[in-house]
Amino acid sequence: MANMTPKERVLAALDRKKLDRPPVVCFTQIATVDAMDAVKVYWPDAHTDPHKMATLAAAPSKVFGFECVRLPFCLTVEAEVGGCRVDLGKMDRTPMVKSHVFDESNIPDDLPADFMTKGRIPVVIEAVKIAKQEFGKELPIVAGTTGPFTIAGHLVGTENLLLWIITNPEAVVKALKLATKLERSYIGALAKAGADVIVMSDPSASTDMLSGEMFDEYAAPYIIESFKDAGNAKKVLHICGDTTLLLDHMIKTGVNGLSIEEKVSPEKAVQIVNGRAALVGNVGVVRPLLQGTTEDVLRDATRVKNAGFNLVGPGCGLAARVPKANIEALIKAVKG
Amino acid sequence: MTDYLAQLAEVVVKGKIKEAKPLTEQALAAGVPANEIIFNGLSKGMEVVGQKYEKKEYYLPQVLLSAQTMYASLDVALPKLVVGSGGVRAKVVMAVVEGDVHDIGKNIVKAMLTGAGMTIFDLGRDVPIKNIVDKAKAESVDIVATSTLMTPTLAGMKEIERMMKEGNMKPKIKSMIGGGATSQEFASQIGADAWGPDAIAAVQIAMNLAKK
Repeated sequence: MANMTPKERVLAALDRKKLDRPPVVCFTQIATVDAMDAVKVYWPDAHTDPHKMATLAAAPSKVFGFECVRLPFCLTVEAEVGGCRVDLGKMDRTPMVKSHVFDESNIPDDLPADFMTKGRIPVVIEAVKIAKQEFGKELPIVAGTTGPFTIAGHLVGTENLLLWIITNPEAVVKALKLATKLERSYIGALAKAGADVIVMSDPSASTDMLSGEMFDEYAAPYIIESFKDAGNAKKVLHICGDTTLLLDHMIKTGVNGLSIEEKVSPEKAVQIVNGRAALVGNVGVVRPLLQGTTEDVLRDATRVKNAGFNLVGPGCGLAARVPKANIEALIKAVKG
Repeated sequence: MTDYLAQLAEVVVKGKIKEAKPLTEQALAAGVPANEIIFNGLSKGMEVVGQKYEKKEYYLPQVLLSAQTMYASLDVALPKLVVGSGGVRAKVVMAVVEGDVHDIGKNIVKAMLTGAGMTIFDLGRDVPIKNIVDKAKAESVDIVATSTLMTPTLAGMKEIERMMKEGNMKPKIKSMIGGGATSQEFASQIGADAWGPDAIAAVQIAMNLAKK
């Protein structure tokens, strides 16, 4: 098993096979300033140039030893294609959605026919192809996408979307259907381009926002639908916050892996999931990775590994300023 | 009078937004003072909403609807409020710091503080640090309350502390922070006066700061 490539190891881990050690990955945002310095490719350029995107996405595996290539670096690609204004940020700040597009009365039934050629969709697809060709033998290509509930929130305003669950559920469904159409085509194209793993992050569907029942009604069916054209790519669902009560609901979407944050106790997560899906995570990004010491990171990562997570890594997207030493401590804790 | 107050609290808890305005008008017409409506009706309602959210009986959609209902009633009651008629009268400037657009948490805290009778100057999201400090000075507020969910924007909170200190605004004006990326350790480290772990705790924290 020691001879496995990182790609074989990651795919086996997502199939919940028994391994000598779990792979150490970052399935959420992976780039840091140290990685940028190493390959001389920086944000915001890397968001719009496929070669730069592929190069930066692979850098953390070369520089730190992560066992995957992960791109893009934000959750705004879909929102932008849907018509939102996006600020691409700066070297240490991720892009953000600056404005939503629709209100209750004007959510369209369909997307423009050429939406797959819009915004940065072609950039990400091209970057996946480049990454596949350059690194795809050894490393799994992990494409990050946004969950339909989160996209819908970008399109109409998350606060509006939540409020309409009570006051105007039809509008919620309409926004979700639009988001799902976009997402399903996008995921299909990413899989076709060579993505080995599709990670869908749906932060707005967390338990801070929705109850389990609301998740079943307004998130899960659209997640399932969005993954329909993923082909042979492994499917991973990432949801932020304390997902202890949501794990069962997440499993029911039929994904291969669940990526969760440190707000869930790792032992408890393993106990609840009980082999029904692979667990990915859940070392804290702010504490210990950003603000803690290497000892803190070593302690938490070892705990996650010993708890039995199938893949060990950050519980959420890395902040660009996470120190190199802490990432190295994370990787050392897993690889030894 | 207590009938009206109980009904108003109930309307807020259940989020019966259409009933908020007429019921508030009726209560005022029946001689219920605006401060009673706010502090013993709406405020009690929001308190219950907070408790239900804490116990996970309510999720964000219900909380948002209750907040909207409270605002609908406040629109009618606030103009009739006689100044100095009881309750905590703190003035608070609120904002999501520059670089971050996640403002739902801030809006919930705003609703809870409004429910507690405080005057809120809400600057919105992605707000330049200087604007926050300038507003605090211009309105001579009691508290500067900022939030962020992201990590790159934590530096903005540190900058607020620096500017407040430099402008001799402390200790007269207090600062409190909250949001996903913040913690008690971080608050202590930058010199913020308080950290709010959630919207419910934020009410008590703000009340305590206002008394100091």
